[in-house]
Amino acid sequence: MSAPNDYLHCPLCGFEFIKQQSACERGCPLGKYCRLVCCPNCHYEFPPELRVVSWWRRLFAPAACPKPPRDLFSLSELNEGDHAELVRLTSEKVSRRNTLAVYGLVPGSRLVLQQKRPSFVIRVGETELALEADIAGELVVKRIAAEGAANLTS
Amino acid sequence: MSASPTTQHPPAEQTLILVGNPNVGKSVLFSKLTGKFVIISNYPGTTVEITTGHSTFSGKTCAVIDSPGVNELAARTEDARVTCDVLRDHPEATLVQVADAKNLRRALLLTMQLAELKRPMVLVLNMMDELDKVGGHIDVRKLSELLGIPVVPTIAIARTGIHLLEKSLDQAAVPASLTASLKTQQTSPTVTTNLPCQEEDYQQNIERLSYINEILAQVYTRVRPRKPTFAQQLGWWATQPLRGTLLLALILYFTFWFVGLLGAGTFVNFFENAVFGRHINPIAIRVVDAALPFPHQHRHEASEYKLDIPLAPGRGIELFSSTQQVLSPAYTIEPGAAHGWWNAVIRFIHDFLVGEYGMITMALSYGFAIVLPIVTTFFLLFSVLEDSGYLSRLAVMVNRIFRAMGLNGKAVLPMVLGLGCDTMATMTTRILETRKERVITTLLLALAVPCSAQLGVLMAMTARVSWGAALFWVALMVAIAFVVGWLAAKLHGGASSDFILELPPMRRPELGNVVVKTLARLEWYLKEVIPLFVLGTAILFFFDKLNLLEKITCFGEPIVTGWLGLPRETANAFLIGFLRRDYGAVYLLDAATGPNATLSPHQILVSMVTITLFMPCIATLFMIARELGKRTAAAITVFVFVFAFFVGGLVHHLGRWIGL
Ligand SMILES: Nc1nc2c(ncn2[C@@H]2O[C@H](COP(=O)(O)OP(=O)(O)OP(=O)(O)O)[C@@H](O)[C@H]2O)c(=O)[nH]1
Ligand SMILES: [Mg+2]
Ligand SMILES: [Zn+2]
Ligand SMILES: [Zn+2]
Repeated sequence: MSAPNDYLHCPLCGFEFIKQQSACERGCPLGKYCRLVCCPNCHYEFPPELRVVSWWRRLFAPAACPKPPRDLFSLSELNEGDHAELVRLTSEKVSRRNTLAVYGLVPGSRLVLQQKRPSFVIRVGETELALEADIAGELVVKRIAAEGAANLTS
Repeated sequence: MSASPTTQHPPAEQTLILVGNPNVGKSVLFSKLTGKFVIISNYPGTTVEITTGHSTFSGKTCAVIDSPGVNELAARTEDARVTCDVLRDHPEATLVQVADAKNLRRALLLTMQLAELKRPMVLVLNMMDELDKVGGHIDVRKLSELLGIPVVPTIAIARTGIHLLEKSLDQAAVPASLTASLKTQQTSPTVTTNLPCQEEDYQQNIERLSYINEILAQVYTRVRPRKPTFAQQLGWWATQPLRGTLLLALILYFTFWFVGLLGAGTFVNFFENAVFGRHINPIAIRVVDAALPFPHQHRHEASEYKLDIPLAPGRGIELFSSTQQVLSPAYTIEPGAAHGWWNAVIRFIHDFLVGEYGMITMALSYGFAIVLPIVTTFFLLFSVLEDSGYLSRLAVMVNRIFRAMGLNGKAVLPMVLGLGCDTMATMTTRILETRKERVITTLLLALAVPCSAQLGVLMAMTARVSWGAALFWVALMVAIAFVVGWLAAKLHGGASSDFILELPPMRRPELGNVVVKTLARLEWYLKEVIPLFVLGTAILFFFDKLNLLEKITCFGEPIVTGWLGLPRETANAFLIGFLRRDYGAVYLLDAATGPNATLSPHQILVSMVTITLFMPCIATLFMIARELGKRTAAAITVFVFVFAFFVGGLVHHLGRWIGL
């Protein structure tokens, strides 16, 4: 397994994600030989950078230009108190997606991020749910205005 | 607290199964319907076994079954499996789904899954009071129309709506409109335990939820919510890094004060010295002497007794103190008395009851005077914490730490309960999702989590060693728990589960429920403890009479004296420790602080370490065997036994070497 916390940056939209979140189509004809990763935000497929290259770039390349604005985030990028709508779950594990579903957390549901540390706590409807950071990282959400979701200001 | 076999009831004409999401009030409703006691607490996953009760509704006798809460009908955890089994075993039963009215969306997801079983159903909307508080409103009649089943709003804790529920049981109907509404044809009309087609489950759940959203749009309205209550505010603080840690520290200190100083200090002192030492024991001795006379003379001993309100260790407000001469179990035979066989028999019975290893003077006074006050205070506090909803928030705080041991925050409930009684805690490990987590939690419970009785006794022993030594003991236990947990997590195959935990609302604990629950736990505890204390004392007594104690002491000498460097008599403590660790600890306490104390501070530390790690008690072993199988139980036993002596010896030799 590769280092789990190697972040990949989509060259097209600048979305940051980890390899496990890659939104590769299941049933890719190349199977495990496929070297491409797919951005969960815009579905652009690109080969991940070799580690040496990325080190080189980080050491000597000019500072990256500011990221373009985007409307999809992973839940871990939001701030405490933000309201959001769940767009997609990038988890490969069905059981994990199912566990979240029975708490009412499926694409389209609204949630409030209450806190991020020591664990994430979100509120879905009247349910307060504690999640670990790696699960929170798998929730792709978009920000929404506060009055749309369950009213709560903490 | 267990369900007694209910054979005396007439065969029920109807069976009701209470099902629903965790922590929605099924058990409250159950006890209101049947009048039978079950454990109720503000923690998802309280009920782990089914309980059956009986009642009559509109002239019909009914069996009512309380089941563990489930979020879906796929059996992923042990307790969900119990519910699925119940549903399968009673195909004719009427389902009473209990729902948290605040969380209607989640409840309806379960309703739709239950609907596929095609059984008559009633939906109970419980916690209407809390729905009102958050500013929600549900159009009950409309909902009932849409679902095609009776819907009954209730407030179970206040008994509101129970009568209506009883009346509507006759109208229970199969919610046909629900199953027809889904586009995908349902594949499984039976309760599934399938794992392979989870993807399909997931798609179905998404579809169900979108259908539910349509229902909710018609029945659920929400007015502007009120300001967050203090309880809500406290709940948020409890999981935040800084405030949460402060709150935790506060709770820990209060626990230490309440259980350690008040329970194990003031109360034990009262029961041991005032009640047993001055009244029960002397009276028992006089009664036995009068009934079974043989020529002997009991000694008198000075008994000191001090009643105080503790403030900090070693400090307190003294209310009352007195010194008095009391009759003690030790006696001298009058010289020149007859030595007939009859006298020998009488003396044997006399000693069995009130001698050095007597039933009253040792077994009962240990059990009731030392163990009981400590566990009572602990269970009382535990019930309050449990009902407040704090424990799941504690899980959030400690999740990171538990992760290092291959567990996640959810294991905090069994661990904390283990401080009360390891046997109960072992049973509660069922709420954990994977076998790996259950095994590691059980191992740590067996090894490094002393029950409150033992802890209280050990705390009393720390009074005789330096602060440094006491801290060393605590640090060592924590370190061992980590290292062993970490190693076990590495060595044991299998996965740990995700940490996704529902935080129940903070509620003010209800006095009645707290008291009843504490009493029920005490009853279970005493039923387990007192027989073992009696048995252990009897073993000691007979070994003593047959002069075997001497031989066993010799047998244990290489380990006890050679390796641990303790006086040989302490072998008795470990012998008794096989039955219960806390009993062994009490014995050591006697050797450390009793009238003729024999242990040096260094030896006290060694014996504290060894007995803390020593074997889980017999009842816990049986429970481990029941929950995890005999082989795992045997493996855990052997490991714990060897490990306890190994570490104890290590502390002894290292201590010697450093020159403490
Ligand atoms: N405010 C309010 N609290 C309630 C009501 N009914 C139950 N409770 C509380 O809800 C908590 C959970 O009750 P339980 O009966 O243990 O819930 P359960 O459904 O059996 O839970 P599990 O066994 O864990 O599945 C307890 O703290 C109850 O006091 C109600 O109508 N109103
Ligand atoms: Mg229950
Ligand atoms: Zn992209
Ligand atoms: Zn691909």
